[in-house]
Amino acid sequence: MNEPPPTGPTNSTDSGAPPLQVKPTAIEEPERERKFRVGIGARLYFLLFGAVVLMGGATVLAYFTFNETLQHEIRLAEYSMPNLINSVDVARKSAVVVNGAFRLVSASSKEEHTAVVEATAREIASLENTILELEARSAFDEQTRLIRSNLEELGTHLDVIKESSARRLEIDRALNVFIDELGETTRRVERLLVQAIDDQAFYLVSGLRQLDDKVDSIRKRASEDELTAYRNLITVNQSSNLAVLLLDEVLVLADRQFLTPLEERFQSAVRNFIQAYAKLPESMQNDLLEENLTRLDEIGEGPEGVIKLRMEALLRLEQEQETLAQARTTSESLVSEVNNLVEQINEEAIQSSEASRAAAQTGILLLILLNVFGTIGAFGLGSLFVRRYLVRRLVGLASAMREMASGDLEVPVQVEGTRIVRPVKGSAHYLTQNIKYLIWNDEVTDMARALEVFRRYAHEVQRLNLVEKLAEELDAKNENLEHALENLKAAQEQVVAEQKLASLGQLTAGVAHEIKNPLNFVNNFANVSIEMADEIDDLMKQQDSLDLEEVRSILDELRTSLGKIKEHGKRADDIVRSMLEHSRSKEGEWRKTNLNALLKQYVDLSYHALRAEDNSFNAEMKEDLDANMEEIVVVPQDICRVFLNLVNNAFQAMHEKQQKVDGDYLPTLSISSRQLEDHVAFSIRDNGPGIPDDVRDKIFEPFVTTKEPGKGTGLGLSLTTDILLRHGGSIQVDTAVGHYTEMRVLLPLEPPAEALSSMEDKTE
Amino acid sequence: MKIWMILVLLLVLVAPWGPAQAESNQQKIVFGQSAALTGPARALGIGMRLGLHAAFSEVNRKGGVHGRLLHLESLDDRYEPEAAIANTRTLIEQNKVFALIGAVGTPTSKSAQPVATEAGVPYIAPFTGAEFLRDAKKRPNVVNVRASYYQETEEMVVRLHEDLGIDRISIFYQNDSFGQAGLNGLRRAVNRHGLSLIEEVYYTRNTEAVKIALLDLRQANAEAVVIVGAYKPAATMIRWARRLNFNPYFINISFIGSAALAKALGPDGTGVYVTQVVPFPRDTTLPIVAQYQKALKKIDVNSKPSFVSLEGYLAGRIAIEGLRLAGPDPTRESFLHALTQAGDIDLGGFRLRYGVDDNQGSDRVYLTRIDKRGRFQSVNKMSAP
Repeated sequence: MNEPPPTGPTNSTDSGAPPLQVKPTAIEEPERERKFRVGIGARLYFLLFGAVVLMGGATVLAYFTFNETLQHEIRLAEYSMPNLINSVDVARKSAVVVNGAFRLVSASSKEEHTAVVEATAREIASLENTILELEARSAFDEQTRLIRSNLEELGTHLDVIKESSARRLEIDRALNVFIDELGETTRRVERLLVQAIDDQAFYLVSGLRQLDDKVDSIRKRASEDELTAYRNLITVNQSSNLAVLLLDEVLVLADRQFLTPLEERFQSAVRNFIQAYAKLPESMQNDLLEENLTRLDEIGEGPEGVIKLRMEALLRLEQEQETLAQARTTSESLVSEVNNLVEQINEEAIQSSEASRAAAQTGILLLILLNVFGTIGAFGLGSLFVRRYLVRRLVGLASAMREMASGDLEVPVQVEGTRIVRPVKGSAHYLTQNIKYLIWNDEVTDMARALEVFRRYAHEVQRLNLVEKLAEELDAKNENLEHALENLKAAQEQVVAEQKLASLGQLTAGVAHEIKNPLNFVNNFANVSIEMADEIDDLMKQQDSLDLEEVRSILDELRTSLGKIKEHGKRADDIVRSMLEHSRSKEGEWRKTNLNALLKQYVDLSYHALRAEDNSFNAEMKEDLDANMEEIVVVPQDICRVFLNLVNNAFQAMHEKQQKVDGDYLPTLSISSRQLEDHVAFSIRDNGPGIPDDVRDKIFEPFVTTKEPGKGTGLGLSLTTDILLRHGGSIQVDTAVGHYTEMRVLLPLEPPAEALSSMEDKTE
Repeated sequence: MKIWMILVLLLVLVAPWGPAQAESNQQKIVFGQSAALTGPARALGIGMRLGLHAAFSEVNRKGGVHGRLLHLESLDDRYEPEAAIANTRTLIEQNKVFALIGAVGTPTSKSAQPVATEAGVPYIAPFTGAEFLRDAKKRPNVVNVRASYYQETEEMVVRLHEDLGIDRISIFYQNDSFGQAGLNGLRRAVNRHGLSLIEEVYYTRNTEAVKIALLDLRQANAEAVVIVGAYKPAATMIRWARRLNFNPYFINISFIGSAALAKALGPDGTGVYVTQVVPFPRDTTLPIVAQYQKALKKIDVNSKPSFVSLEGYLAGRIAIEGLRLAGPDPTRESFLHALTQAGDIDLGGFRLRYGVDDNQGSDRVYLTRIDKRGRFQSVNKMSAP
């Protein structure tokens, strides 16, 4: 945030004077404004009032809009819609009535006919009601009158068709009965005639009528009477068949004109079979045949016979078709009138709903505008008053407080409006300044000013306390550092001691082997000595012949033996002492040391330690030590650890390789030493697996190990490096994977300064 | 797909099976028969009805089939095709019969069988050998018992030609589909033997106007007359022939109604042959015939065994066998399926076999002759009188 340079009454503290010399009493009281002003509360009330006014306006507008729409809707619902429904109803029912005429003509049963008649009557009655409703509600008198007159005309047509078609159906039913009867009659006639013809023909040929008759003479059976009888039988059969065929034709005939010739032909066929039948001899006439033939005539020509009925039905059908054509014309004009009505009423309904929609749209538009203005106003006011005027300043105030709380009292409190003061009357821009003052002079300005006063006090107090506090902190930190250093040293010693103990443990088996040899000597020579002592005793018992020479020689031998005991005992003692020296945990002494001997000793120890674990392990040793090497000043305990580490590593590496490689592999350890111009060099070389390149760079880092988990600490070479550095020496590694590893240790002839001072202390 | 559509589909699929299922669950299983119970062919209808009653009563006395009693509803069609159609409709729609059985006649069956086939109702053992009923693919609901007219006419020609050496064969047939079926069969049979019919004459159904035809047969000097017709006109024709001393071999097809024929012929019947499609009804060496006679006596002590009632009995027995094979809840489909899958069915010495394309159970044709006392003899060969 840009800090404007402090001006006016608030800048008194920012002088160049040293902080400690400033007194809190130098701070002024902020300016107090107690005159009339418009506070935040009043301003918020004002805003709320504005919103309420807007809302009220919207409500009033909505009321008028909806009221207008409602008026139109009411008109639509109470007037236009029922009209529309009625007119559609009229159209639908008119269609049913018109359709009724067609259905009556084509009705094929009495039931269907009755159903159509009833349905049509119902629709006409219902149509009357609908038209009445329509007339009662509105002014479509012209249309309804036309519809009504069309409807009446149609009703007349319908009545005509109704009666005629009913009669036609009756005729159809009667004809159906005739058809059945005609079939029966025909079959009976045919059966009787076929039999009679068969009999007569057989008689003409055979002269026999019955099985047990005597055969008639040819003259009798072929007489004219018999032949005529046969011909008449044939005629009756043919004519009756023809009559039936003609009646069948009458039944399917559709054109009334052709009925008359058919009737004449039927009459002649009937005449034929009646005449032929009458001429038959009495023996061939029988009641059943006569009855059926008569019936055939009646069915055809009776006053209620097939031909008359068919004639009437066809006539009626023609008339019905004519009436139907008239009805169609009437119904067309009816439909067009109904369509007119529907269209008009539809027009009206459309107008109503248009008006309603227009009112609703206007209302919606106005409401949307009001809403937009209201929203913009609310956002404007919110941004102007709440965000810019209130929130931003309160945030400024809060951030000033936070800074003070975090201890930063240097920055003065800066909130918009704090610097605007009431102008003096008559000054330049008095009016605008006064308005600004009115706007900005509120509770936030008060708070900012009060906070500034508080800051100045706090600032002074803080300056006074600061120096004292810094000194104390410094002391405490120092103390902590020292403490940490001590802890670190102790930890280091601990690590070294543990490493020592670890190597000691590893060496124990080697040491035991070393001690065992001298102890064997001691034991053997001790036994020899005891025997010699017994020998002297025996010699002493022979008092008569004490051979002093003999005793003396035995004593000499005894002495030699004891000398050996002493020598080997001393050797054991030396070993133990060197062990003790090695494990003594006090800070190592700098001493002149034979490093060749030290190296040899630890090679033996390490070799035997490993053999104690695995007695199958054998290694060849090669020595090339510089016999003229000087003793040099080192810490023997440390250097022996260096040797031990390197030798152990060498043996363990070869041991591992031997276990992996069967057969001809012979582990070989070569050690050598040389004294050079200003330093000595030792080499420990094995023919083990070597060290891979990626591992070689890291072997001197702590905690790096190639051994199995638990076998090595990973500290060996790291400590080695530390020890050699302390001695001013160094270590180098030369290796070829699969072939060898050679570690070279260099130590200076001149000991480091630390060694000299340590040795001086000792001499003192 | 929406669930209601599936439901509607299911309903549509299930609906046709509904009524058949429902009637199968009733206690009784009803069979319907439309046959001539009056008129010139009444002997056939009545005989079939008697045989069916005998079979059904026999099984009902034993507790029915799978516990269901059988019932026969018979209607008279007077051997008229129109009446047969009306009766069949009534039986299916009003009586809700499980199956139709024992119809009599070719023209009647030709009219009624399509009604049954459309309704999916089994049409069992019609008393006719017409070939069209043996088309199992177009008429999967028909179950024939007897051999066909083709097989009968073949047997006739074999016997006439081989036993008697007769070549001059003629036919006297009823002028309708029955006669036509016999005529076709006979023509085929004589052609197979390198012959042709020397005369073909007919008479009008339900009349006895046969005498002109007889004159034609005599004119043609026929040695053998194969009769494909009803017993009354056949008897009239034969008697008139005897009266005229015209004596060829008369061989009747099984449909004739043997007992009625023998009775109508009286002494004129001697030497008249009839081919049969069922065993000789007095031959009790056959177990089925013994069972038939016993069952017949149970329902009518005075009844005499006849070919027609034996055929009715066999029809009843095959229906019972089908129900037995179809299991406790028979449907029309399972009934028909059971018969086609049954393999050889042996009804006490009368063997039947149905298959997927074979709806005729028996292929056997038997030859019988009327003796001097007007009684039937079972013969293996024809011989001169």
